Amino acid sequence: MYTIETKGLVKRYKTKTAVNGLDLTVEEGELFALLGVNGAGKTTTIRMLACLSAPTEGEGFVQGHSILTDKSGVKTVIGISPQDTAVAEKLTVRENLAFIAKVFGLDSERSKARVTEMINMFGLGEYENVRAKTLSGGWKRKLSIAMALLPEPKVLFLDEPTLGLDVLARRELWRAIKKLKGKMTIILTTHYMEEAEELSDRIAIMIDGSFAAVGTLSEIEEKAGAKGLENAFVAIAERGSEE
Amino acid sequence: MKKAIAFTERNIKELTRDPLSYIFCLGFPLIMLIIMSVINESIPPEAGMTLFQIGKLCGGIMIFGQTFIMLFTALTVSQDRAGSFLVRMYATPMVSADFIAGYTLPLFIIALAQGLITAAASFVISLISGGEFSIPGALLAVAASMPSALMFTSIGILFGTLFNEKAAPGLCSIVISLGSFLGCIFFDAEATGGIMLTICKIFPFFYCSKCARAAIALDLSGESFLIPLAIVSAWAAVLTGLAALAFGSRMKADLS
Repeated sequence: MYTIETKGLVKRYKTKTAVNGLDLTVEEGELFALLGVNGAGKTTTIRMLACLSAPTEGEGFVQGHSILTDKSGVKTVIGISPQDTAVAEKLTVRENLAFIAKVFGLDSERSKARVTEMINMFGLGEYENVRAKTLSGGWKRKLSIAMALLPEPKVLFLDEPTLGLDVLARRELWRAIKKLKGKMTIILTTHYMEEAEELSDRIAIMIDGSFAAVGTLSEIEEKAGAKGLENAFVAIAERGSEE
Repeated sequence: MKKAIAFTERNIKELTRDPLSYIFCLGFPLIMLIIMSVINESIPPEAGMTLFQIGKLCGGIMIFGQTFIMLFTALTVSQDRAGSFLVRMYATPMVSADFIAGYTLPLFIIALAQGLITAAASFVISLISGGEFSIPGALLAVAASMPSALMFTSIGILFGTLFNEKAAPGLCSIVISLGSFLGCIFFDAEATGGIMLTICKIFPFFYCSKCARAAIALDLSGESFLIPLAIVSAWAAVLTGLAALAFGSRMKADLS
């Protein structure tokens, strides 16, 4: 059984088809990147898989739970860090984490242990009693990912996790994401080529709501006949627009 | 239920850590209580104006304070909707009822605290000014004003759900102005009578303050207390239902 499987997933708005017939399979423990320019359909795909948006057509399964008929089942196995930093601004770092622990029904002992674990994992110790609104963008993003990870999800969705961060904060966040590799299935959306190249096991290049190429970096390079992800992306995108 | 309690705790912390909530929910009503008490001292007894006497004023100010709770509810809901916070929460096992309970309970608790503080301040003013004031009556008024607290919280949830974070506070300001005017908090429509009284009786605000004032006076008659309380409770039930319906529909639309 695949951890994530979609069959002909479509999301259509009034005048635009955001996602157009996606067939996707992701293995357990894989870090799978959805790479594409703004408006390619990456976030919409993640939203459908996280039951935050209903597909117009098609079906999807997360850990065997249908995104159409078993939304509560899906929600028990996923964690999501949305594109905009979704933290409670007036709560401290520790309180934000404890809040998520309560929402997921962790008992007091387990909650304390997981909160401390997350604080240590993301180096948030210095800021644990600081209100989230005073944190820098990078630390907020770390907190947001820590909140997504706290209930020990089987599948983690990271929507543009390093968007708007400076180069140092981005590299630090990459190191944190690398530590998670293999421990859970991660779906990451990005429009940074180097990010997809650095972190992913497999990459799907999304253009206008469809997969233009899916595979490992070398498979994509081979398909594009170009060296490096950026060159391969440009070659595939240009070929797509010519067709 | 645990999820609703967790969300309630989060909202209480968010509200109590906002200095504006102290200024508007507590400071402003208390200032109005003091100002109106000072004005009352300047009114000659032969004018027969009893509206600003502490026994009557306290009930009106309790309701006036609740209108600011409505404003903060609308702000909390609309701001949560504007950011990604609710998106994260939608992806958790929380359901619509958890959100409604989580938004309502904290404001209910704050309304209770606000009522008790207004009652305590009124008692102190009554000691200074020598006005008549019943402590059991004030405590009864706090309890009797809980349906109106629920009503204002529901209006806040409704506005916060239907409008964005810029429009919702503006609309609440209109309701605050209308509420204080039509609720007869700062003028006595029953004394003026006529069309003004008829208009006031169409809206629930009039009954909110009438019920609270009757409770303070320990006048538990049907006309002064029980009927207004029943009317406010009915408005509260309808508006709570509407708020729940609106939030549930919005959540469904957000997830479609």
